[in-house]
Amino acid sequence: MAAALPGSPGTAVAGPAPAAAPGPPRFLDALVPEGTYRTGRRETVRDVAGRPVAELTLAPALYVGRTLDRLRRRPAVAAGWPAAERADRLRAAATAFTGARLGGLDPEAHHRLVARTTGVPVAVVRAAAETVAAALAHAVAAVERARPRGALPADWRHADTGAGGAVVWRRRGHLLSVNASGNHPAVHSLWPEALALGYRVAVRPSRRDPFTAHRLVLALRSAGFADEDAVLLPCGHQAADELIRGGDLAMVFGGDEVVARYAGGRSGTPVLPQGPGRVKVLVTGAWEPYLDVIAESVGGLGGVSCLNATGVLVERDATGFAEALAERLGALRPLPPEHEDAGLPCLPAAEAHRVEDFLRQRAAGTRAVLGGGVHDLADGSAALRPAVHLLAGPGAEQLGVELPFPCAWVAPWSPADGTAPLRGSLVAGVATDDDALVDAVLAEPSVRNVYGLDRPTWWLPPGVPHDGFLAEFLMRATALARG
Amino acid sequence: MNTADALAVLDAPPDADVDPDELVRAAMQWHFSPETGTPFWLARRDTLGFDPRTDVRTRADLRLFPQVVDDLRHTPVEDLLPRGYGGAAEVIGVFESGGTTGAPKRVVYLADWMEREMAQAMRAMDERGYPRGVNWLSLGPSGPHDYAELTGQHARRRGGLRFAIDFDPRWVRRCLREGRPEEAERYLDHVLAQAGDVLASQHVGAVQAPPPLLERLARDERLVDLVRGQVQVITWCGTSMDRDTRDLFTREVFPGIPVYGLYGSTMALGAAFERPVTDDGDSVFDSPSVNVTYEVVDPGSGEPVAVGETGQVVMHHLSKSALLPHNRERDMARRAAAPADRVGHAVADVRPVEAFTGVPVIVGAY
Repeated sequence: MAAALPGSPGTAVAGPAPAAAPGPPRFLDALVPEGTYRTGRRETVRDVAGRPVAELTLAPALYVGRTLDRLRRRPAVAAGWPAAERADRLRAAATAFTGARLGGLDPEAHHRLVARTTGVPVAVVRAAAETVAAALAHAVAAVERARPRGALPADWRHADTGAGGAVVWRRRGHLLSVNASGNHPAVHSLWPEALALGYRVAVRPSRRDPFTAHRLVLALRSAGFADEDAVLLPCGHQAADELIRGGDLAMVFGGDEVVARYAGGRSGTPVLPQGPGRVKVLVTGAWEPYLDVIAESVGGLGGVSCLNATGVLVERDATGFAEALAERLGALRPLPPEHEDAGLPCLPAAEAHRVEDFLRQRAAGTRAVLGGGVHDLADGSAALRPAVHLLAGPGAEQLGVELPFPCAWVAPWSPADGTAPLRGSLVAGVATDDDALVDAVLAEPSVRNVYGLDRPTWWLPPGVPHDGFLAEFLMRATALARG
Repeated sequence: MNTADALAVLDAPPDADVDPDELVRAAMQWHFSPETGTPFWLARRDTLGFDPRTDVRTRADLRLFPQVVDDLRHTPVEDLLPRGYGGAAEVIGVFESGGTTGAPKRVVYLADWMEREMAQAMRAMDERGYPRGVNWLSLGPSGPHDYAELTGQHARRRGGLRFAIDFDPRWVRRCLREGRPEEAERYLDHVLAQAGDVLASQHVGAVQAPPPLLERLARDERLVDLVRGQVQVITWCGTSMDRDTRDLFTREVFPGIPVYGLYGSTMALGAAFERPVTDDGDSVFDSPSVNVTYEVVDPGSGEPVAVGETGQVVMHHLSKSALLPHNRERDMARRAAAPADRVGHAVADVRPVEAFTGVPVIVGAY
């Protein structure tokens, strides 16, 4: 996992950074059942300074629709493999993903490219690659943890289903569509479990980071996955609708607007939304022992993940805590994303200013303990400085305002407030001696994971559910009885 | 220029070699003279800030005209009939714009203009090898739209019968605007099913359809087979189609069947057939006639862009029946080199202005 807080806060940063020369723009083709597909109408992918780095194919809706029509008709080639073979090939894909030269890029060049286009610090990108690789390597074991105890293992034989009947764990379809986002490369650590379950996967990558999914699909293919089992379909918004509609099931990453657009089954496809995490932490006793881990929860991963903490509730001395957190986060230096010591995300300057404006709007009426804002890197890009704001109470709406940089909203909390302020959290980090409080948080249906603050909120090793097990969505227990 | 001279230019046969600037002066004389003029224009003559009959001498001068087509949303259509017809103008139909951007705009199609437009269309079809004597299936809007009338004329003038499937684009847009894509889907299914009935039971040699319906058709193997088995030419029209979708149609869905676009606007009372050869891979359309011309202009300055540059599409219609100059369409296009004998610009890679809007701020991490 990323250790994004720098050890030496005194590092001086002088002038515009010597950004890595991006080289000539490369073509990034769709990876399709026939191999590759390059369109005439493409999108130029630019780095945060606005320099072109790639020409991304944008598959038209008709292409996406026709391709998925064909993919849906048959089970994945990998569905016919024994689980052990799937595990072997996924491990081989993990090795290739982290170590091999794929699509003309060695791992370091890939990491730099992703850092330059997403603005995510390169150390965070590199760690995310390890996260993705670990997810691949452990995917078969991880999905096994999700299998209901009453269902037979994947290698069941008809002899197991005799007179009394049996339960088999069955795929709900053949094809999973994934509409990915580009905020953090590890969004691609979730869908490999679908491959482990014998699904074929069609991924629409983000236009900011089409590289991670491209590399991952190439890694899967190099490990023996069929071209038709792992498909990359970069496309525009209209074709994205077709991608969602064309899958048997779909997973959609995005903001509230994107998720609301597809959730609710309007496309006729069951959709698993992956929206903002709105992660919150709560400390009931002394906060001093948890300051480090809360700072890591807010500022680790560059603050760009849905698993980063957004709201912080403290029972004692919220003001003192906010000031101490601000001091920790204030040590993060604005640096170009490819810099090894970078810990803050960068964006094109104009976009960074829009984020800053949005922060200012939403922060109205709160106390800025650490103001955040834009640090111009003088090459067309800008880093987003950390922000800590103090709220009047735990009911303030800002507690769930998640922004793509280290940005924390601190509010005082008292036992009378209960668990209500923690609602809607992907992770609730709770530091308390009060087991009843932990039980109450666990009983809150809108909270999806509960961690003690002995680990950052973005702790997520393979086999731990992110927002439930993906297999809960992809599989179904089915009775089979034949004497 | 007097009225007789103006008429001589405006009534010249469709294949006559009319000087484009002469046509401009003739149209100004005709539509702005108290005796022959169009009430819509006569009413605006004093507020234009220039005298069209003396100040508008060349095609470049058409840029003096403000964007007036929005007034066509509420103008009584009688005001669009030039007095010069003496109350005897034969009106083929009143047609409305799509209604994408508010209340629809209305124009009138007069019989003499229809003859010119169809002469141009037949010549373009001949040049592209469109068959004669085959039946046509047109999927598209009827009702207030010009589509059904024009496609009916196309079929009739090429000696074929025409089967029509009705399609209401306003309903589809409303479904999408109100966040009901599933209703739009259901409606498209309903339309396509009707096309299937025609294709399965009738002889059809030519198909006309807007791209969304054609794409829908391409997803149905049975319909695709029915088209492949008998159709000799496909024409798409109504909205733009990107080059990659077009390539899928010509290479994978309907290999061997010529596919041509038809690009125009209700507000231009005319349309151009796609050139048989692309411009750097993109579909390209020459201005269809001296009467209906396109220009690609800088969206900010309104000045024409150079060949190879992208800008907003402006359309001009100048005829005896109507004057609709300097109308900015909601399309962007690249200006392509036009053949020497063509008036106006050639437009390539046409796409809606909406496709050029910026990216919203990213809020939230997910």
